[in-house]
Amino acid sequence: MNLAPALDLTFHALADGTRRSMIHTLAHGETRSAGELGRQFRSAQPTISRHLKVLEEAGIVERRVEGRVHQFRLRRKALEQAGRWITRHQAFWEGAVDQLDRLLAEGAER
Amino acid sequence: MTADKTCAEIRRRLPHPPEKVFAAFASAELVTRWLTPSPEIRLTVLEFAFHEGGAYRFAYHVPGANTVIVGGSYSVIKPPTKIVFSWVIEPPDEHAGIQSEVTVSITPDGGGCELLIRHEKFERSDAIERHSAGWRGAVDQLTELLNEEE
Repeated sequence: MNLAPALDLTFHALADGTRRSMIHTLAHGETRSAGELGRQFRSAQPTISRHLKVLEEAGIVERRVEGRVHQFRLRRKALEQAGRWITRHQAFWEGAVDQLDRLLAEGAER
Repeated sequence: MTADKTCAEIRRRLPHPPEKVFAAFASAELVTRWLTPSPEIRLTVLEFAFHEGGAYRFAYHVPGANTVIVGGSYSVIKPPTKIVFSWVIEPPDEHAGIQSEVTVSITPDGGGCELLIRHEKFERSDAIERHSAGWRGAVDQLTELLNEEE
């Protein structure tokens, strides 16, 4: 399975502070309307809509339309995939730097 | 995953001068001895051109699993303080094809140094490149126009 295109979208979505705050707001599974999110972030509605669209396209939020109200909720899967990429590389470098430290210490004793 | 963490980052104080830490990144022989996540995972260096624009390719032999191949190229090499290189895992791998970038910063600190490694997903610059290509085209045309007028 090729995750690359999906992860491109996820990391692009995460590259913005407002969008990360929106994810925090929805982190516990609450549903918020576009209007509520707009008031919370004190941004113009078109700006909020644009951010929500980026999050939706990355599969990070899902939209439910109830009449004229658009409700948003967090979907965990996209974030978990991005999290796995970060965890893997974090572990890689932690392990490598441990070994580097040991190698240099050996060299210092010689 | 916390939503505000968008890269892997490791910061470590090492009781060694920056030159010595930098040297560990700069030779295929030394890299083979440490640049793996654990001693069980052996590294074979397939390609190693340690200069700006040079490419590297590493094969990681994971016991009882596939060999994972990683490659990329060095975009910045400033001895003994900074190295930047791209990092792409080859198929088949869950994370194959994902463009990422590693920035190694080595800062002198007393008799030793602080090593900071930031590994982040690379934001595609296709759009930016298209823009700059557009500008280059425009500037070329302008130059031609001015030449004609002479």
